[in-house]
Amino acid sequence: MDLKLSDEDLEFRARARAWLTRHVPKEPRPPYGEAAARFDREWQRKLYEHGFAGINWPREYGGLGLSAIQQVIWYEECARAGAPHYINTTYVGLMHAGPTLMACGTEAQKRYYLPRILSGEHLWCQGFSEPDAGSDLAALKTAGRIEGDELVVNGCKTWTTDARFADYQELLVRTTPGSQRHHGLTWVICDMKSPGISIHPIRTMLGDEHVNTVFYDEVRIPLANVVGEVGQGWKTALSTLAFERGTGFIGDQLALAERVRQAISLARRVRLESGELAIENADIAGRLALIKADTLAIRAMTLHQISEVASSGAPGPKGSIMKLMVTSTAKTLSHLVAELLGWEFLEYDYEGGRENQPWTYDYLWSWVYTIAGGTSEIQREIIADRLLELPRAR
Amino acid sequence: MYLDLDEGERAVSEGVAAFLAGEFPLQRLLHSSDSEALEAFAAQGWLGLAVPEELGGAGLSCVEEALFFMAHGREAGPFDLFPQMLALEVARHSPTLVAELLSAVHRVALWVATEGETARLVASAPPTVALRIEVQRVALWELKGKELSERTCLDRSVSFYLVPRAELRLLAEERCDLYLRAELALASMEVGIAQRALEMIVAYARQRHTFGRPIGAYQAVRHPCADMAVRVEAARCQLYYAACALREGHRDAATQVSAARVLARRAARDNTDLNIQLHGGLGVTEEYPAHLLLKRANLLARLPGGRSWEREALLQESA
Repeated sequence: MDLKLSDEDLEFRARARAWLTRHVPKEPRPPYGEAAARFDREWQRKLYEHGFAGINWPREYGGLGLSAIQQVIWYEECARAGAPHYINTTYVGLMHAGPTLMACGTEAQKRYYLPRILSGEHLWCQGFSEPDAGSDLAALKTAGRIEGDELVVNGCKTWTTDARFADYQELLVRTTPGSQRHHGLTWVICDMKSPGISIHPIRTMLGDEHVNTVFYDEVRIPLANVVGEVGQGWKTALSTLAFERGTGFIGDQLALAERVRQAISLARRVRLESGELAIENADIAGRLALIKADTLAIRAMTLHQISEVASSGAPGPKGSIMKLMVTSTAKTLSHLVAELLGWEFLEYDYEGGRENQPWTYDYLWSWVYTIAGGTSEIQREIIADRLLELPRAR
Repeated sequence: MYLDLDEGERAVSEGVAAFLAGEFPLQRLLHSSDSEALEAFAAQGWLGLAVPEELGGAGLSCVEEALFFMAHGREAGPFDLFPQMLALEVARHSPTLVAELLSAVHRVALWVATEGETARLVASAPPTVALRIEVQRVALWELKGKELSERTCLDRSVSFYLVPRAELRLLAEERCDLYLRAELALASMEVGIAQRALEMIVAYARQRHTFGRPIGAYQAVRHPCADMAVRVEAARCQLYYAACALREGHRDAATQVSAARVLARRAARDNTDLNIQLHGGLGVTEEYPAHLLLKRANLLARLPGGRSWEREALLQESA
């Protein structure tokens, strides 16, 4: 084992750094809404025009076809340059829908959608979870009825991030009436402007409306939009795993590392009620040190996973370990900073959001983090099943 | 960049694991002592793993040493190997001393504390030399007199030896990054212990039934096991990174090694605890080996002894 970067890696780092220095937007990203979506599209357009879009996409689909380690380098350079975070309204298209189309789409689908995802022209959202099918996704009920060359959809999806700004949705529906669990499902591209779609924002405890419930009333989708085969939607949904090379949490790691750095510098400034500097309190210093160590470990785990995938070719269940680590460390950090900030932490302006009070906002966000994309409890189940091979009760 | 074991590293790791499993399995501690283990390892050439070839060693690095001590930790291996192998680094400039350490003519104890005029040493048999590990220097001290007072230890594979401070004479010292080597070796043993605790409970959870089901099917058992796996994975990956950073002379090596150590210590403490708890009554019996891991982890957590430095290395401005 070694940590040495190759000449190509170093050359790529220099090239990325030089480009980012000149092109990172001066103005900050608007925190939410249409303005944020517009900002994301523009940044994606700029990346596309300069040949830096689709860092995890193969070259044949217009991506950079970077090695996993070069992806890490790219994210590190973006963080260093203060570039817009890649988890934004372009995320579902670039990281999920695009790779799914590459794996299972028809030539016509690939030709039409992929370049438009890459250029930021199309934003995508996800339509998997339902009010009665979250952790247990295979319990989903939204129905797709085949009529001629159309699929007629009725039902409801929820937790759809940025549904109002998305052009398309990756929609998973039950097309075989009476089918059970992961059988009889179909993965289909849904135009979000289709008649019969209504979007209802869900106001969260953070005071914002980034997630939505989407209702479908006789929504007609051409059968040509089915990705993979009718009835094989579960297989299509799992196909993105093939693109997972262990780099999925590097952006989270970098954001967390920056927050830890800020928390340590905060602890050097603020005094506890006892009058003592926070950093000089043994309990607080010990907890901060452990958080810092966890943050370093997440980076080491990413590099280890990249190496493992490079030699075995398979991602395995380590992603669940990463998600538990990243989200629980973020929550632990939030709790600690809540203590350090005292009353300032509680004086929260719901309209100001993250821009005004990042610590309080991120504290509330930390529960979204440990729940969205598979709750911590589901991640532990995956680890118990697939990594530890413990017997199942389900 | 490749942060996983290559072929040579795998061979070292599997070689020492096989030797330990055959000659010094964890269960040995239920009925025998480690007082003659050093000679067995010396005979196989393991003591010189990281000693340069011209001095009679295998010439490998701190990365292989970390793998060695991880495998060692899995069996709660003979404690004396740790001070003995680190002493070899201190003795580098004296080929005679190196030879005496490689052949176990000299037996090294770890000097863990000084209480008034008395030095507290840890070893499995009466030592001839004591190794003191401090941030600024790592030093070897010869025991002049024969006045050793022996005390039992919670980890019954070792004893405390109390020696008058005045009877220790400086033999050799080293001021470079040896402290980090010691921390790395301790972190390695702790990762091995945490890994073994996880393996032990997972094997048991598959076969032990309650209420008509294996206990491994209950989320009250599955979820703590998953958390144990997360702790092992985090500590192990950080250990690999730290070992490479130390070998390659990275500027942040001290921070990386500190991170490895605090995560390994936490993993060993929490996993050895949960391993006993999830076993139920069997876990607290003397005949079942779960307690051996807990007791070894408790000893290692306090080492190398003296002021703790990891926190400062992790919180410094540039880290």
